Amino acid sequence: MEVIINKKGQETVVGLVGRLDTPASIEIAPQIEDLKEATSGTVILDCKDLEYISSSGLRLFLGLRKAAAEKGGKIVVSNISPEIRSVFMMTGFLNLFEIR
Amino acid sequence: MNQNLSPHTQELLEQYRKLLPVYEKMADVIPEKLKEFFDEAGIIVAAVEHRVKAEKSLAGKLQLKGDKYKDIFDITDLVGLRVITFYIDDVDKVASIVERLFEIDWENSIDKRKIHEIDSFGYLSLHYICRVPESSYNDPEHPEINKIRFEVQMRTVLQHAWANMNHDTGYKSGVEIPLIYKRNMSRLAGMLELVDDEFSRIRQEISDYRRNVQKLVASGNLSEVQLDGDSFNSYMKIRPFDSLTRRIASINQAEIQEVDLSQFLGLFKAMGFKTLGDIANLIKEYSDAAYQIACFQMGITDLDIISSSVAPQNLCTAFILKKGWGSGGLKSMLDALNGPSESNAFMAEYLLEQTKDLPFMNK
Repeated sequence: MEVIINKKGQETVVGLVGRLDTPASIEIAPQIEDLKEATSGTVILDCKDLEYISSSGLRLFLGLRKAAAEKGGKIVVSNISPEIRSVFMMTGFLNLFEIR
Repeated sequence: MNQNLSPHTQELLEQYRKLLPVYEKMADVIPEKLKEFFDEAGIIVAAVEHRVKAEKSLAGKLQLKGDKYKDIFDITDLVGLRVITFYIDDVDKVASIVERLFEIDWENSIDKRKIHEIDSFGYLSLHYICRVPESSYNDPEHPEINKIRFEVQMRTVLQHAWANMNHDTGYKSGVEIPLIYKRNMSRLAGMLELVDDEFSRIRQEISDYRRNVQKLVASGNLSEVQLDGDSFNSYMKIRPFDSLTRRIASINQAEIQEVDLSQFLGLFKAMGFKTLGDIANLIKEYSDAAYQIACFQMGITDLDIISSSVAPQNLCTAFILKKGWGSGGLKSMLDALNGPSESNAFMAEYLLEQTKDLPFMNK
């Protein structure tokens, strides 16, 4: 699992590459924790190369959403595949994020 | 020092200068104290203004009537506060807080709302002359704070606007204005009095409506309650989707993430729901179908977290499918919940395909 972070002013684009299963979620948790600092602006989670997301991955997304709500920023989820979109839908997560 | 002023006036001005830091402290501390109490009482005010009388202004006043004051503590408007409320009935609520918080010098306080003759209109405001009791505030460095009297004016936004404009047009120029203009200002005062009363009446009616809705929701007479923002919020407080949400969560022993469900109001209205009873019927008639959808989708996954929006979302899905509104209806639902998007069309088709063989579709 790879996390590629690009900051452009108030916008932070986070490329998620690979499978975001439980071990990967544990692995990238420190990077996601650091990202919470950037949630006063817009954080775009680019899921173009995200192949799979587990509950642990969803929890990481939720953590960012909570941080953004506290800091007045927003989380955008972009380029999600139909499979991941269906996970978001069946868990009721689709309307928690701005989806692009 | 101005040599034209009498020795007594100069003495008063000297006392004023010595006490100026105390006046400034009061002008800082008292509004904050008031705001704290307004917050506690749930009163939203438009503004709390404060000022310390400028030396020049005081000198002018003393030149005119300096003999009236034995010492500086006899002057009651050196520190002035003005509380501007939105509603006329909040003026009395603010007044009761001021009465509770400070000692009121009733002899010098004026209710200008009561001094008008029955057939005259004009300046309406409540002025209290107050003192901070030691029980409310005690500063050993500035014991004078408890001795100095100050003025609190309380009025509505409209009274404030009228008073300012009347002052601007009537007195500022120092020239007496013709009676016709005075009369026109009085007409406006009368009209604004009516508007103030009307705002309060409307607020009261809305409160009554909300209380009535809450009563009907609590008593279960949901079909009598029209579906709107207020009634929906009241209904959400009794958590009508909880039972289904827990049932869905039990599929994978999932953690439930509580989320705001307000976006469902628009969707329910778009589905033709008119009363809270329609939502109650949806829950009653479609809970099994909503559960079947969740079982089919989540049963083959290890997803152990769901948001509390799954239950109403699946209920709406089942309702739309049973009504035969097809993928178009599902897309409209997803557009309403997640924002319009082309990918919602794909998800709608996917949902339609997923659910077509579920038992509830064949009943």
